[in-house]
Formats: sequence, structure tokens, C-alpha cells
Amino acid sequence: MTAALPNVVVLDTTAAFWASMGAALLADFGATVVRLDGPGARDHDGGRPTDTPYHDELANRNKLSLALARETPQGRALLERLVAAADVFVTDLDRAALERERLDYATLSTLKPALVYARGSGFGPDGPDRDLPGLDELAAARTGMMPILPQPAQPPVYGGGGQMYSAVMLAFGVMTALWHREETGEGQAVDVSLLAGNMYGASLDLQAFLAIGGERFLHPVSRLDAGNPMSGTLYPTQDGRWVTLTMPDTDRWWPGLAAITGLAADDARFDSHEKRCETNRLALIDALERAFATQPAAHWRTVIAERNLSADVIEDYGYVANDPQALRNRFVLDVQRGGDSAKTLGFPLFMSETPARMDRTAPYRGQHSARVLSDVLGCSEDEIEALTAVGVVS
Amino acid sequence: MTLPLEGIRVIDLTVWFQGPVAGQQLADFGAEVIHVERPQGGDLGRGVRTIKAVPVGDWNQYFLVINRNKKSLAVDLNKPAGREIITRLVEASDVFLTNLGEDNLAKWELTYERLRGINPRLVYAVGSGYGQYGGISKPSFDMTVQALTGIMSRLGEPGQPPVYLGMGSGDAIGGLFAALGIMLALWRRRATGRGQLINASLYGAQLFLAAPTLEAYLATGEESYARQQSRTSAANPLWNTYPTADRWVSLCLPNTDERWSAFCASLDGAALANDARFASAQQRREHATELIALLDEQLRQRSAQEWLDRWRGRGIAASAIGTLADLAEDPQAWANGYFVKTRCEEVQREVVVRGLPVQLSKTPGSVRSLGPELGQHTEEILTETLGYTWEQIGELKEQGAIL
Repeated sequence: MTAALPNVVVLDTTAAFWASMGAALLADFGATVVRLDGPGARDHDGGRPTDTPYHDELANRNKLSLALARETPQGRALLERLVAAADVFVTDLDRAALERERLDYATLSTLKPALVYARGSGFGPDGPDRDLPGLDELAAARTGMMPILPQPAQPPVYGGGGQMYSAVMLAFGVMTALWHREETGEGQAVDVSLLAGNMYGASLDLQAFLAIGGERFLHPVSRLDAGNPMSGTLYPTQDGRWVTLTMPDTDRWWPGLAAITGLAADDARFDSHEKRCETNRLALIDALERAFATQPAAHWRTVIAERNLSADVIEDYGYVANDPQALRNRFVLDVQRGGDSAKTLGFPLFMSETPARMDRTAPYRGQHSARVLSDVLGCSEDEIEALTAVGVVS
Repeated sequence: MTLPLEGIRVIDLTVWFQGPVAGQQLADFGAEVIHVERPQGGDLGRGVRTIKAVPVGDWNQYFLVINRNKKSLAVDLNKPAGREIITRLVEASDVFLTNLGEDNLAKWELTYERLRGINPRLVYAVGSGYGQYGGISKPSFDMTVQALTGIMSRLGEPGQPPVYLGMGSGDAIGGLFAALGIMLALWRRRATGRGQLINASLYGAQLFLAAPTLEAYLATGEESYARQQSRTSAANPLWNTYPTADRWVSLCLPNTDERWSAFCASLDGAALANDARFASAQQRREHATELIALLDEQLRQRSAQEWLDRWRGRGIAASAIGTLADLAEDPQAWANGYFVKTRCEEVQREVVVRGLPVQLSKTPGSVRSLGPELGQHTEEILTETLGYTWEQIGELKEQGAIL
């Protein structure tokens, strides 16, 4: 089966996990994504406590690696040939580095006007803080969600997902710019930042605050003070786990919920949406809190399923790793690593004719140098040998 | 100014957030996105009256922002004449986007099998709950699916309730993947002349959202990666959140001796710098709990701003942890167009809405209008796009097939 992007060549100079993930989405769907790996390590975020070597594995799968001494004149010449042959250039280098290395948009677009040049940054291409480090924690801190995610009086919560919106947005921006290029021949710069991604992920809270304002968007709201006791709520089970409900239209769901929690559907305190969500909101929260505490999670999972209610038991990563649904849809993949079987994140997006593929694991530095020179630039064997001999590629 | 997706027509048969926001991404960049709604009340998102128990006020931003730049076609799909309109629209469109249940789509004869027979070039995009396979029919909402991903169990202090990433956090990424999938399928269509089926699920997309912490668990199966981690024992005390006299701050420093020295120089007194327990990276890791407790105490003595002023000059990566109110006034967000002002017809004044998270230098997207009135473009689409006569339109109205 053919891939979606068989003829698209992407040059990838990203270092941060999220930006590399953005380019990996293109690689998963068949673009030829060539990492221009310099001598340094790939991840310049070093020190983030959640970082592991597996992040590099994930973010660079399906890519090729060309080890290129781009600071030498011959290396630069080769890089310029690659740019001329490429469709897309992706980077998350800071502006100073891009100018120093002559990898900025102005320079590269002169070499190739049709180039789609995508840059990921921390805080966007304009404004007073455009040169702050591209760290998701810093962008999340400014987005306004960290103080309101936890329960009251708890420390702010860093969710870590903000950067992933930016990753998908990067791939979407590239595709939109490629579409325009096909129609007009015109290339352009695409910019995505961590601040933008975090803000997008916070869309509903943010937009509600902009339109309405008020304290409930600035301070944590206790789960025992939920606006709708039946929607967006958490209740502890007898065995210390949690059930969550999403039943915004309570009229539809109330009979089923009442039945499983042993409440009377015609209980006069709760027999209308208004009573459930306004007049007797706190009483209903209290009643549900008591009810869910009487049975273990396994019981709730069963009765929720029986009645097809919009609710679920909160699971952990162990559930995901073994969930047949996640494996069947290739959201999680079984892989071999050093002879051991392991799992890795798969592909969130299904395409019937051009599905994502796991062609290869993340390359070591320079693993595909010769292949890239031959396939992308059409270099002869002699030429490749000569370039290798003088250390331009390795 | 030229918009890059001009000329692409999208049938957007979606409700709430996940589906509509996928269409919105395309509409922001100029696609003609037709939000198909039932004549009675339209998209359920139009009915939102409160958010977090706060009344939405005089304009329903929930619906109007995620359906911006779109047209509205009000058509009753339970009527044959209504379904005929959609069939004709399918012939004239590039994309069919939906997040409705399979039972409704089957009842209205809007399955992939049938529509691709009508228009082989059609990209058929589904925003689902649990993915293409598996046949799960249970209701899927953002938070109930987020519950399955494990990310909620991983966040917050140990012993605290699980943490939800925020209203619509999962819909937002599900919608974004649908938009990306549509662009990939349209790209492929340039080569083949044929469309295909794409499916962007809440489950798959939210596992992607969890990637920064999920991947380590999948790779190793190590329990600790799945559990809540306390900030009071963070493995790297220099990459953590801290309270100050007023607000919290995020501090992001690699645990190196060089960074530690620079950080110590910003503190009051030399007690920490000279403390043998924290002399090396390994010792700081081993004595993290003590170090964090001491930093909590010291950083509480001054305001966030005082600390940030000291740190800025020393290249110490840190930020105050702000609120949505701070963000609304953040010059950085405004400078990049992440907020824009636009006119809201419903209240006849300018309002502030979130802008576009991705910027294209030559063909930027834009907010040209907020969400349409229910059925605002029904007649326009029927006459101009589908060639219905005014007489036929009168009949359709009489039958109740259109609004």
C-alpha cells in the first residue's frame, strides 16, 4: 500500500521532543524525513525529569539520519543542494542560531523560493519574549490552566500535553502550506509555538473566560462544587478508585444514572435539569458521592456498560498498554527492542488507503548518510566516498 | 488576501466540539465549510447556556468561536428531500466530515460506502470516540475517554483525585488530527484522483496527548511512570514548581553543577551553596526532598517578580505561573495573533476570540466571521451551489426539509 506523502522530502533539524514529533507525523505517513544530525545530542532540553531515551526513539522513528558537518564550506554546499531538493525544512533552532548558521527563512527561501519552512518556537516569531527558551513548562505556566487544574489549595499542575497540540499543528501547517504551493508554486514560512499549542488546548476555558470572566475560571473549582453534578465530575469508589461522568444533557441520562446509584428517578429533589444543576446541585453531588462509595470500580464498570451510560472508571497507563482496543487500532504497538518485546505509542490517525507505517526505528546519527546522498541528491558512489573521506558526511 | 484552502468544499455534519473544531481549522484557512444542522435547534452546541455553572452571557461563545468562518445549512435528514440535498452536495464537495454516531449515519444513508459511490474523490473524515475498529458503541465524550488514557491518574499530588486536562482538551486534539488527516488525504488525492476514509478518534488522539509521560511507561512497563509524582520529591529539584510570597513559579534547570551555582548565586545567603548534601548532581537527586523543602522556604520569602528579575539576568529559565486573566493581557500572545478582535453580529460589538495557533507568512488564515445563524446560508447553497430553483426551495420549506 502506498503512503500519503511518498514524494515529499523533509529536512529536519529539530531537537525538542514536540517539534521532532511534528516531523515524525509526516514520516509516519511516508514523507522522506531526513534528520540533519550535527555532532551534538538530539535533545537540548537535557534535564527534564520525565525525559528518557525512549522519547528520542518515538520522535525520530521512520526518519533517516544524515550526519553532516554543515559548518564546513563543503558541508554548507551540500546542505544547499539538499534544500534545493527538499520540499520542507523543519527546525526549532532559536533565531540567533538560525542566523549564525544561515538557516533562517530569508536565506533558505532565496535558495529555493518554493520551500515550505516550518519553525517551532516557545513563544512565536514576534513579540517581546520571542527569544525565550522553547520549553513547554514555560509556555504552560503562561497559559493560565496550571492553577485551575488541581483541587483547591493544591499546587499548580503541569499537564505536559500542551506541546502535543503544537506538534500536530506543525504538521497541519506544513500540509496547508504544501497545498498552497501545489496550487501556486509559492513557498512560505510556517510558525507554530508552544504558547500557541497550549492556548489552543485550553480553548474552552480560555474562550469562556474572555467572554464571561469571573473567579471560576481563575481559581480551582472543587469537585464537590461542580457546575453540573453529572458532567465533568469525579466520584471515589469503595476501593479507592474513581468514576467520572459526562452527562451534560441530564434529562437524557438521569433515569439510567438514578437506577445504577439506587436513587429514585422521581426523587422530588432531582426531577428536573434545573433542580439537578441549580437548586439542588450540591445535594445531588452529595448523594452521588455517597452512592459511588458503596461499590468497587469493577461493579461500576459493569453497570455503566450494561446501560451504555456516558461514564467510565478512571484507568492508568497499565490499562492502555493492554487494552485490546488500543492495540487493535494501532494506538499502541508491540515492538522488539534489543530482543525484548516492548510497546510504543502507535498512530492516532487511521487512513484507509494510505495508513501510517512503522518502517524503521529511530536512526543513529549518520545511519543513512550514503543513502540520503544517493536517493535525494543522486550522488554517485565516488562522490559519496569523497565526501566521507574529507569528513563532510559521516 | 489569498487563503490557502480556497476552493475546498467541506460538508461539516458535526456537533459539540471535536467535529466542529476540525472544520474550523480548515475554515480559518479559507475552505468553504458548510455546517449542516437540523432545523430544530441546530448543532447541540448552540444550546450551551452555562460553562462551569456560569451563564454564557449575551453571546454563546462556545458555538460561535468553534464554528467561525463557516456557513450554516439547516436541513432535516429525516426527510427524503433533505437527504437528496446532501446527496447533491456530496457530488459537489471535497470533504465529508462528521462526528455523529454510525446509527444515524446509516439511517440517513450517509455511510462511507454510499458516499464514495456518489463521489469517488470525496475524503470521508470521521471524528470517533474509540477508533475505526472494535465496534465500541458506548457514548464518547472528551473526559470519559480521557479517563481511559491513564493521563488523569498520572497527574496531581499523590492521594489527590485524578486531574482532567481541562474542558475540551481531548476534543481539541481529536479535531486537530481530523484536520491533519483531511489534508493528508487531499494531498494523496492529487496523485490518485480518489478520496479515502480517515478516522481520528478521541482515544488515539488523547494517547498522543499523553505521549510525554506515556511513552516511558509503554517502553519499560515501570509502575512509577503511571503514578502520581509529588513535586516535593521531584528527581531534579531544579526542574519543578515552587511557591513564592505571592504566586507559584516554574523553574526549568538541568541538574548540572554550573546551573546549580548560577541558581545559588541568585538566592539569599550561601547556606545552600555551601551545603555538602547538595554539592553534586547525584547528591541533589538523592537529597531532593530536603532540598525542595529548603527551596520552598526560601522562595516564599520574596515575590515571584523579585525572583524572576534576579533569574533573568542569570539566564535561569523560569516563569511565573499565571491565570487566564494574565494570559488575556499577555503582550506575547497578542503580538502573535493568538488573540484577535472580531465583530459579533449577535451582540453588535467587537469581541475577543482565540486566534490561529499556526501562522503562514504569505497566506495567513483569519477570522472573517463568527459562527453563522442557523440556516443562514441554506438558500445561498441551494441556489448557487446546487442549482435549486426558488420554486423548489419553497416546496422544501413547506415540507419542512429545510428551515
